[in-house]
Amino acid sequence: MIDFEEELKKYEPAIEVEQAEADIKARDLTDLTDLLFNMTAQNNGTNK
Amino acid sequence: MQCFMCGADVGNSKVCYNCGADILLYKQIIYTSYVFYNQGLEKAKVKDLSGAIESLKSSLQYYKYNTRARNLLGLCYYQVGEMVRALNEWVLSKNLQPEDNPDADRYLAEIENAPGLLSKTNSTIKKYNQAIDYCKSGSKDLAMIQLKKVITQNPNFVRAHQLLALLYIQEGKYADARKILSQASKIDGNNTTTIRYIHEVKARLKEQNTGRRRHKNDTVSFADGNDTVIMSEKSFRSMLDNSRASFVNILLGLVIGLLICFFLVVPTVRDSVKDGNTNTILSLNESLAEANSEKDSLQSEVDGLKKELSAFDDKQDVATSYDNLFAAQNSYNAGDSAAASEYIQLVTKDVLGEQGQQAYDSLYELISPTILQGYYDDGNNFYAEENYESAIVNYKTVVDSDESYDDGAALFLLGDCYRLTDQTDLALECFNKVVELYPSNKWGRQAKVYIAADDTQLDAKEIGE
Repeated sequence: MIDFEEELKKYEPAIEVEQAEADIKARDLTDLTDLLFNMTAQNNGTNK
Repeated sequence: MQCFMCGADVGNSKVCYNCGADILLYKQIIYTSYVFYNQGLEKAKVKDLSGAIESLKSSLQYYKYNTRARNLLGLCYYQVGEMVRALNEWVLSKNLQPEDNPDADRYLAEIENAPGLLSKTNSTIKKYNQAIDYCKSGSKDLAMIQLKKVITQNPNFVRAHQLLALLYIQEGKYADARKILSQASKIDGNNTTTIRYIHEVKARLKEQNTGRRRHKNDTVSFADGNDTVIMSEKSFRSMLDNSRASFVNILLGLVIGLLICFFLVVPTVRDSVKDGNTNTILSLNESLAEANSEKDSLQSEVDGLKKELSAFDDKQDVATSYDNLFAAQNSYNAGDSAAASEYIQLVTKDVLGEQGQQAYDSLYELISPTILQGYYDDGNNFYAEENYESAIVNYKTVVDSDESYDDGAALFLLGDCYRLTDQTDLALECFNKVVELYPSNKWGRQAKVYIAADDTQLDAKEIGE
């Protein structure tokens, strides 16, 4: 049984064209290679 | 391969000997990213766009520089109607890999080159957002109107389809909801929200069909343009009956129209065609008569021109005849009687003047023996070749000039040619003349034999010369 109100909450406004640039800037582009890089850098610093 | 930390060349080593970085782990991360990319690609190929989007997002979480995954993610967003998200992915792709990124270049160029696409997209998005606001404020009818417009402008916008279906479910319009969800399912075949709604709609429809018995005064609803008409089943049936009667009336009208066409219009058309044909025949006859009269006038003109031309021919013949006469005279003077006879035969005596005719006569008299001799010789040659027709022509020329030529030999041979060509009367005429002129010479005697025997079929050799 679908709860309309609960279901409605899942619908978020779509990004408008004017907000596209802000959306790109707000993106967290960190990936696993970045984490590996940071971890390796930290390890190397600790060892030194 | 180079180390991701220090950039040193590590070859196939698992660890960088320069900085101690875990190269194997780095490679595994890249590999996993491409595994997710392949999954996303497979899902996108079977129109499981939601699944593809999830896989591609995972791929990019492992390795953000996987440009192919990012471009494909943008394409999937574009396909489900999320234009701005698609645009964002392609812009990011271009920023992360500015060089050698033809797919992102192409997608962005296509959007730039489509005039008004972005403004139209923006207007659609605004309407969708407004519809969400209407839903949250309880104005479901307004929200449905806006969502219908959104779907018209952007038929691939899956989220709009889903929201509209949710509203239909909330309103109890399960058939409409199922229709909208079916459209959404064609765009994105494995979207969990869509599937969940479809199950819900199916369950509700099943309940409606099996759980309750329909009452006689059940209401019937149907869409008339943008409006939904609700009426009792009884009035709906009476409306259908009226529609049936209207349909019968229309059919009757069509039949009457066809009959009128067959009995009134077709004969008129036929008559007009017949009249047209008659007119055509009359005009053709007139044309033929005109052409005939024109032909007659042209023929008379041709005859006149021929007469004029013959006059010119005669004039031309005058000069030629004098030339030939002089040539004959000169040849005769030079002692060449044969050439003179040939030339004089080319002269037309009638066109000559009085003096010319006198000169012609005197010259002809002088060379006529030669001419006759020529004809006689030719006749003899033809006779020997059994060409009696040609021989007759030559002998006749000789006989016409001199019946007693060569002591009646020419006349006898002419008669013999007539005999041999079955012209018996002419043959007997010739033989009689020969007997009359030379009764005692050999031609006369032979002629007598023919006449007496009345056997013109005898051969000359049999008679004996």
